[in-house]
Amino acid sequence: MAYIEIDNLKYRYPKTKKLALDGISIQIEKGSFLGVIGRNGAGKSTLSSAIIGLVPQFYKGAYGGSVIVDGLDASRTPVSELSRKVGLVFQNPFNQLSGAKDTVYDEVCFGMQNFGIPSDEMRRRADAMLEKLGIAQFRDRNPFDLSGGQMQRVAIASILVLQPDVLILDEPTSQLDPAGSEEVFKVVEQLTNDGITVIMIEQKIDKIAKYSDKILLLDDGKMVTYGTPSEVFAESEAHGVIPPAPLRLSRALNIADENNSYPATEEAAVRIMNGKVSFKDVREKERTTSSEEVFRIENLSFHYTEGINVLHSVSLSFDKRPTAIIGQNGAGKTTLAKLMKGLLKPSEGSIFFKGEDTKAKTAAALSSSIGYVFQNPDDQIFKPRVLDEVMFGPVNIGMSKEDAERKAIEALGLVHLENAKNRNPYDLDLHERKMVALASVIAMDTDAIILDEPTIAQDDSGKNLIARIIGELAEKGKLVVSILHDMDLVATAFTRVIAMANGSVIDDGKPEDVFRDESTLMKAGLELPHVASLGRKLGSESVLLTDKDFLESAFIRE
Amino acid sequence: MKSISLYKDNGTWLCRVHPFTKLMYIAAVILIPLFLHTLWAYAVAIALDVAILISGKSLKRARALIIFSFTIIATIFLIKGLFDGDNITPLFSLGSIVFYKEGLLKALRTGCVIINMLLSFSILVLTTKPEDIADEMERHGFSPRLSYVISSVFSIIPQMMGTMDTITDAQRSRGMETEGKLSVRMKAFIPLITPVVTSSLINTRERAIALEVRGFGAKGKRSYLRTWKKHKGDKAITILLIIATFLAFIWKIITWLI
Amino acid sequence: MTAKDIFRTKFDVASIVLIPACIGINYIGKLFASALKLPLWLDSIGTCLGACLGGPIIGGICGAANNLIYGLTTGDSITLIYALTSLFIGFFVGIMARAGFMKSFPRSIITALVAGAVAIVISTPLNIVFWGGQTGNVWGDAVFAASQAASLPLWLSSLFDEIIVDVPDKIITLILTFLILKALPDKLTSLYDASDEVERLD
Repeated sequence: MAYIEIDNLKYRYPKTKKLALDGISIQIEKGSFLGVIGRNGAGKSTLSSAIIGLVPQFYKGAYGGSVIVDGLDASRTPVSELSRKVGLVFQNPFNQLSGAKDTVYDEVCFGMQNFGIPSDEMRRRADAMLEKLGIAQFRDRNPFDLSGGQMQRVAIASILVLQPDVLILDEPTSQLDPAGSEEVFKVVEQLTNDGITVIMIEQKIDKIAKYSDKILLLDDGKMVTYGTPSEVFAESEAHGVIPPAPLRLSRALNIADENNSYPATEEAAVRIMNGKVSFKDVREKERTTSSEEVFRIENLSFHYTEGINVLHSVSLSFDKRPTAIIGQNGAGKTTLAKLMKGLLKPSEGSIFFKGEDTKAKTAAALSSSIGYVFQNPDDQIFKPRVLDEVMFGPVNIGMSKEDAERKAIEALGLVHLENAKNRNPYDLDLHERKMVALASVIAMDTDAIILDEPTIAQDDSGKNLIARIIGELAEKGKLVVSILHDMDLVATAFTRVIAMANGSVIDDGKPEDVFRDESTLMKAGLELPHVASLGRKLGSESVLLTDKDFLESAFIRE
Repeated sequence: MKSISLYKDNGTWLCRVHPFTKLMYIAAVILIPLFLHTLWAYAVAIALDVAILISGKSLKRARALIIFSFTIIATIFLIKGLFDGDNITPLFSLGSIVFYKEGLLKALRTGCVIINMLLSFSILVLTTKPEDIADEMERHGFSPRLSYVISSVFSIIPQMMGTMDTITDAQRSRGMETEGKLSVRMKAFIPLITPVVTSSLINTRERAIALEVRGFGAKGKRSYLRTWKKHKGDKAITILLIIATFLAFIWKIITWLI
Repeated sequence: MTAKDIFRTKFDVASIVLIPACIGINYIGKLFASALKLPLWLDSIGTCLGACLGGPIIGGICGAANNLIYGLTTGDSITLIYALTSLFIGFFVGIMARAGFMKSFPRSIITALVAGAVAIVISTPLNIVFWGGQTGNVWGDAVFAASQAASLPLWLSSLFDEIIVDVPDKIITLILTFLILKALPDKLTSLYDASDEVERLD
């Protein structure tokens, strides 16, 4: 008997009509690494909640079939009992801290106290785990003061000290910046060597491909495939999951391995494709240029506390090209964006919007010409109806009710939420709420729009939609500036990239130029887009940003 | 993260005193003057509060806590001294305004009650970590749920205050004014408070899950990372305080009977 | 709805976590009110929300815990005395909500009046015992002084003072509570539904 046996599992949330899970049957062996993929709303998180008994015990609703974990019925065994066997780590690092402990060390011990583990054993386990996950230096810090990646490692540590047989990771990096994600994936990599059973739900498909022994593909609550990575990726695209770049490209070039399957990881792809593929130089990409200056920033410096500058004398000019700002947390990206929006005032230097100094204007006064979409949609949503929420901004800047409604519906159409206009925004999922927030700013019809991490929580189709929206806004003559850490999107949707590090601009230019310079990437702590990375490893001289670039440039050596 | 707690470990003996001892002190120092019902008892209590605060190097911070009450106490003096129903004996007058002895004495008593209370509580508040109170309660048989509620309030409020700033920025970005006439400010209240309230309520769902998966609801014996070793002084002082309060109570009964 | 339904309370982890959130909301309400310089306290929004979601018992606990925690840690020890008022506000708002008096706007005004009445009945004696009858609010105390000058009995002056201070505050508080409740998603409110069972699909 397998460690986890799921048989014909069905589940429906309370007050809903659709089954969130519909006839799932799988067996998970001890010691394996299972990846779970699927578009938003496919039922991935619901499945993980069912394994630990939160579905149905916590969420209630309607339940059918069975989940047996190590002989225990997960629908009846109390969650606190099951949690001795199964650990769960989820997206939001903030919300999974207990909130009752003010040091990392106490936080890690919280669960062990609940299980009555003697204090010297508690200390032994906590010390070892902090060391192992590289967070020992934070042991006396307040966990809420840590960065997202550090906080998430604290969360993992506080689960692992309970020594569960299975660890479920439900998109553990979806709300983290690239460095934070890397920190977490390093931990995941360690775990794969420890022999603990891991079930990981992730949108970062390259990571799934890298670690998984088996992958479960879900769509619409149903099981599509359960098999090896190459089996699953053969049909994932029709179900909203774009296969990893190495697999896409090797498949397009028809280079398979000895078992006739396409490599899912970069490592495997390089091994198989090396020597078989050559690249010709690609022509300089033709791009729209623009000379009309929208923003001019002169010697801009900023500090929150006297003497500690967050921005050091930045000078930039923005024309109408869609522009991505990239760099690690703490590089000064958000500070720069907030200064441009007038939410902060320069400590030194000035910002001109269409030739006018913005210093004297408040953020509210600038709102009719500069829009700003915040990272967390829940920081702005307050109306009980989507349409009213989207109309709030337009009405504030003096549009008539009719105009506001027209613009709002237009914007909702753009983000594919026209059917949700009468719903309560908080009944929508996070990725949809992000789209509501985006629409609420687009509806204000401003000349410039600043986006802070628009792709967080989006699946592949959400990311594609955002890329399309950016294109459409640019076509309408609007300047789009976006802070972004999704390098694949930077490569495909933007014509200009500004790389920042430590409060200064370290590079500025076309994506292929910025990504060419390895020292820039090092300094900004960034990775190449996946396609470009594979291209470079296979010896391409040019920076290949998209699948199209890659396939036009690559040819099979005879 | 900025805490809303006023606790600061300044290294003095007062920070080492067990929270329960301080709670017992507060109970005693408020109850005894109440039973004895004389002004000198309040004077002694207040003097004792001040002496403890001085030796715990916390008087200066305590001052900030009581200063706000002075205006209220002043108005009590004013209203009681002028208008109280029992006023008979004029004490002094400012022009045509006459202050009466009875009302002023009442006001003095109320003022003493307030100052004594504020000072004695500030001893606890300034020198005790809230989480320690919660932990000690749990260890002495109170429900772990109670101590969870206490501790988590201290992490939740700074988080909410952090989001408050972001929300203000987000709504200003959408053209909402937060300054100006009362009607403008009233209208701003809902867009500002709804997101923080709604998201903090929604976050409780994930927080509850986080606690569930770490066995918060588990039955069976719990264990503790640390134990607070009570100083022998803690015990002695607590017994002394209980005896004193008890004697004052007896005194109250006796005077009431005769 | 029977009395048993009205007082039914779940003491699961979700309800326990609700309490500190409500206490935090009380604090934020007070903070916003003073930041926007509004002439109201608005420091019981969380208690009322807790009462509406978790029922009278959770509401009462939210109220009492609120004043006890702030009183014992933030130095505002005066609030300790009013723990009793908060407890009863939470309790009665919870009863009203379970009896359906938060379902529409006019009904929530009735709940507001009940909350106001509770505040007056409990706080007035406390004001008299501890403050000689005043509330510490400028407008209320002006009325208090005027009625004392007119030789009205102490309890009546104190009652006037309290009415001026608490009734408008409770009305605004419950209007806000009503609006926030309306905006809450089903998936949250269903967590606190005291009468739910898991349905079987097979």
